[in-house]
Amino acid sequence: MFFHIVLERNMQLHPRHFGRHLRDNLIAKLMKDVEGTCSGRHGFVVAITGIENIGKGMIRDGTGFVTFPVKYQCVVFRPFKGEILEAVVTMVNKMGFFAEAGPVQIFVSNHLIPDDMEFQSGDAPNYTTSDGSVKIQKDSEVRLKIIGTRVDATEIFCIGTIKDDFLGVINDPAST
Amino acid sequence: MSLATDSPVHSSSSDDFAAFLDGELDSISSASLDQEEVENDDGSDVQSMKRRKMEKMESIEEPQDSTSHRSLEENLEASTKKDVCTHPGFFGAMCILCGQRMDDESGVTFGYIHKELRLGNDEIARLRKTDMKNLLRHKKLYLVLDLDHTLLNSTELKDLTSEEEYLRSQTDSLQEGNLFKLDSMPMMTKLRPFVHTFLKEASTMFEMYIYTMGDRFYASEMAKLLDPKKEYFNCRVISRDESTQRHQKGLDLVLGQESSVLILDDTESAWPKYKDNLILMERYNYFASSCRQFGFNCKSLSELKTDENEPDGALATVLKVLKQIHNIFFDELREDLAVRDVRQVLKTIRMEVLKGCKIIFSHVFPIKFQAENHPFWRMAEQLGATCSTELDPSVTHVVSTDIGTEKSRWAVKEKKFLVRPGWIEAANYLWQKQPEENFSLDRIKNQ
Repeated sequence: MFFHIVLERNMQLHPRHFGRHLRDNLIAKLMKDVEGTCSGRHGFVVAITGIENIGKGMIRDGTGFVTFPVKYQCVVFRPFKGEILEAVVTMVNKMGFFAEAGPVQIFVSNHLIPDDMEFQSGDAPNYTTSDGSVKIQKDSEVRLKIIGTRVDATEIFCIGTIKDDFLGVINDPAST
Repeated sequence: MSLATDSPVHSSSSDDFAAFLDGELDSISSASLDQEEVENDDGSDVQSMKRRKMEKMESIEEPQDSTSHRSLEENLEASTKKDVCTHPGFFGAMCILCGQRMDDESGVTFGYIHKELRLGNDEIARLRKTDMKNLLRHKKLYLVLDLDHTLLNSTELKDLTSEEEYLRSQTDSLQEGNLFKLDSMPMMTKLRPFVHTFLKEASTMFEMYIYTMGDRFYASEMAKLLDPKKEYFNCRVISRDESTQRHQKGLDLVLGQESSVLILDDTESAWPKYKDNLILMERYNYFASSCRQFGFNCKSLSELKTDENEPDGALATVLKVLKQIHNIFFDELREDLAVRDVRQVLKTIRMEVLKGCKIIFSHVFPIKFQAENHPFWRMAEQLGATCSTELDPSVTHVVSTDIGTEKSRWAVKEKKFLVRPGWIEAANYLWQKQPEENFSLDRIKNQ
């Protein structure tokens, strides 16, 4: 799920950036530092949308660095247990398949793939129904349900299932 | 969803919101579980719940009594099963079946598929069994391939000798040819002649794995050279980094029954537990550095500007053997598919090579060495020859390193074949009895 929230961060700035462009430099550094990172609490920071407020800078003894408390608005993405996600399949093997929804890596084990879908090996491994009408392979788009999440410092892992109503392939690259 | 616009925003309040949502979602799912548990505990409750649900369903759907009833029961069954999850494997420390966080370290990590994927032994056994059925239906077996000295030979650029410098200007692009200079590391790689044909034909009979003692990066770079279209190996590339034991290779990471796996490798000691699955390959030493590594003092193939012969080189020979094994396994054996054992087939074929030969050794083993344990003795026996220590008329070959020994002279007198030990090795690598005159002892003297 995406959220638009306000977060706060203490930014340290090198003295060489002091001057007319201090604010710009601060924001550029903030974007570089924050965008694309994860936190267990908020999930993945997709983009900074605005700066709420920059507090007073504190000069640190000895180094000359200045610490600014910055409040910024950003879009974060965090998967929840029970959430329905759409994801792109990245790898299919006999244990199940891996899919990605942006920064989130999802594994769907073959226990959680409907029983009528069988694994087919070969140069393009896939899961196919017996009549061949539905096929999950690399680059397929699937709708899945999250049943477990873990958010690390830089990565988000999820366990997913497609063994439920209205879940499964929503777009097959081979057919288009 | 935009919280920034329609609520008083502090970072703390949004934290709370995330926590709240998280809590809500958890409580919903646990509540629903509780409900199911209650249903299962109490029989009468189940009935009434069922009836209620059925009524609901009927009012929504067309009345299809029998089917809706069955699906409902299946749902209930499924939910009871879920309550006792066996945790067959883990992804990112979460159970792959129920999503629960588990921090125990049991099972085997399948790092070559995904660094976070870990499977329990029961699950591995289950996967092997189902996969085996699938594979046998497609008339395929498993083949594990080594990289260095089996399919290719690599050298670091700094180890090139002055006579090899000419190679620098000869490297090919990735699509054709078989000599490469890697952009990503200071190395030069030569693919063994025939390797492309080999992979192409072997892929029709086997599901292939790469298993190398090189590191992950090297392994994937080499896989790119061998299989640029990713049609042979997919993700089945195992390197030292994922190996479960140091300095050893094992089949525990290979998702196939041991009775249907063949291994091609040039180093027997790498597979201490799986010698019966192993087909030993003659080392491919193209570069001077790798000749030096194994203590050969001759000029390397690269220095001589030559190479292994394509149509009858080591890979072509072994491909023939693989075809033969595949053929026997699927077409000649009469037992049930599930009990056939490729190791047995391999053994039988090997036994044919020197069948009918009776060998006696002279000046080959050190004194005091238990003759039966010597590699040559064992090799000869595996190839179907009988070995003996007594001279008698039934002996056909005398294997010797010296023409002057008593047994050697006896061989000359009795007109028996007198050969160097290399004759056995050659038969082992080429899967065929070699003409004895190419291995006569006089030749050594002339050289």
